[in-house]
Amino acid sequence: MDTFDLSIAPSPLVALPHGRAADARRETRVSPRIFAATVISAGLISAALASWLPLQMSIVTVFLFAGPHNWFEARYFLMRLPARFGRSRNFFMLAFGGIGVLTAAYISLPALYYANIWSGANWPNAIAIWNTAMLLWIGALVVMRGKQKANRDWFWVLPVIFVLCSLNWAAPELFSLAFVYVHPLIALWFFDRHLRRTKPEWLRIYQRCLMFLPLLAAAMLWQLSRTQPLADDNGLFWRITQHAGAELLPNVSSHMLVSMHVFLEMLHYGVWIFALPLIGASGAIWQVKSIPLAKHSRGFPKLMAAILLCGLFAVALLWFGFSVNYTLTRDIYFTIAMAHVLAEAPFLLRMI
Amino acid sequence: MKRTFFASAAIVAVLASAIFAFGDIARPKPTPKALLYSGLTISTDSKASEARLVISQYTLKNLQDAAARNNDNETLSQRIMHSSSRTMMAGVFMFLAISFAGIWFARSHPNRKTKAIVAVVLAAVAFGIGTIMVRANAGPPGYIRWQNLPQSLKDGKETSGGVSIEVVPGDDNMKLILPMRKSGGSGEE
Repeated sequence: MDTFDLSIAPSPLVALPHGRAADARRETRVSPRIFAATVISAGLISAALASWLPLQMSIVTVFLFAGPHNWFEARYFLMRLPARFGRSRNFFMLAFGGIGVLTAAYISLPALYYANIWSGANWPNAIAIWNTAMLLWIGALVVMRGKQKANRDWFWVLPVIFVLCSLNWAAPELFSLAFVYVHPLIALWFFDRHLRRTKPEWLRIYQRCLMFLPLLAAAMLWQLSRTQPLADDNGLFWRITQHAGAELLPNVSSHMLVSMHVFLEMLHYGVWIFALPLIGASGAIWQVKSIPLAKHSRGFPKLMAAILLCGLFAVALLWFGFSVNYTLTRDIYFTIAMAHVLAEAPFLLRMI
Repeated sequence: MKRTFFASAAIVAVLASAIFAFGDIARPKPTPKALLYSGLTISTDSKASEARLVISQYTLKNLQDAAARNNDNETLSQRIMHSSSRTMMAGVFMFLAISFAGIWFARSHPNRKTKAIVAVVLAAVAFGIGTIMVRANAGPPGYIRWQNLPQSLKDGKETSGGVSIEVVPGDDNMKLILPMRKSGGSGEE
């Protein structure tokens, strides 16, 4: 059995031949104005909910969307994986090697800490070393990708990477915290790159909507900066406030920090679960054949189907874990989920 | 070639003299060593019957870690992982950033080579000055924050400022030393 056509949705633009995709683009029913209204409404609702009930929204959004958004990301990455690596072989070797090694190292850090193999005094240094490895890995990927692109000199990225390494060594924990806040925004960049390909008529209005985002964030900061700290009197609430940086920034309202983090996470989940699939970036969700590695004559359709099914099982397992022990599952999830954060780097570079 | 050789020899001689100069500094008397720099808020409570010292979990953890680092029996890895090493690493990476930025600038604007060199040197000088300021603790001295303490205590208001936490031998009570200056005078209290 070679086919795994589980499709329950019509084929999106990506699955169509180029000419038909172009025709379908012209047949787009949703006007840019409606699209802009949807984006702004989503941003406003997210900001309002995150500001109003930060802890509750954090619990609910992670419970509902953390697993599914990982599945959609995995689906998207499989979609972007070429059937044959060709001259990108070294790039992908470095990308996958880096994801594996860095994720394993990231998971081992708390494991070693809780096993009392090293003391907490060395924790910032361990974080700094890991961050440096990650930055150098990204730098190497950028240089390799730059060599593949004609008429582009990406050498300027190296000094930027070294500046980031320097900042990281100056304050490793704050650098990691900045990473927590920056990561959700990467999804918006992915969306921008896909709009260029699939819905160019929406691109300008989308970029204008993005200008609304800093204003929304500034309004949240202004409104929440003097709020009382959140009650972190139980393990779960303490973990959520700590994740948002309340421990590192004791003079900043934890309400503001958690709200901002939840707001960005909601945008992140919204892009991966709703926005990108709606413009066809993830392919027909259940159609394995829309993945190049499954479609190719020498591809791996069974393997692709197995990966997607295992992903669904993992999502269900995550929901079960959240139901049984939310705090522990959340901790485990945010540690293992580093893999998907890292995976975004090479695939974003492939899009640029 | 000859000029380069003499310039290199002069630089080495200057560096060597610096080593001798440092070597000539008298060994300082052992003084209490600051473990940690943190913040302190002094407030009054008319209903309290005992003085209370309230320390956040984060500060306590930092204090414990700092005490562990200060331990004479610390391991080699702990010694290597001291925060001064982090500062050094930050400096190394900043050096690499400036160097690579200079290379990139010279590569992308070959006809402006001189300007690029000037830009790199200026950037290096700026970072150098910044480093000196940080090392010298440039900025308003810490005692300024404590100047209003007597009045604040009378008014029942809080006063906040920086504090260095030191550990001294013995079993004496905890002591808080505040850097107060006599108003209008130049000497210390």
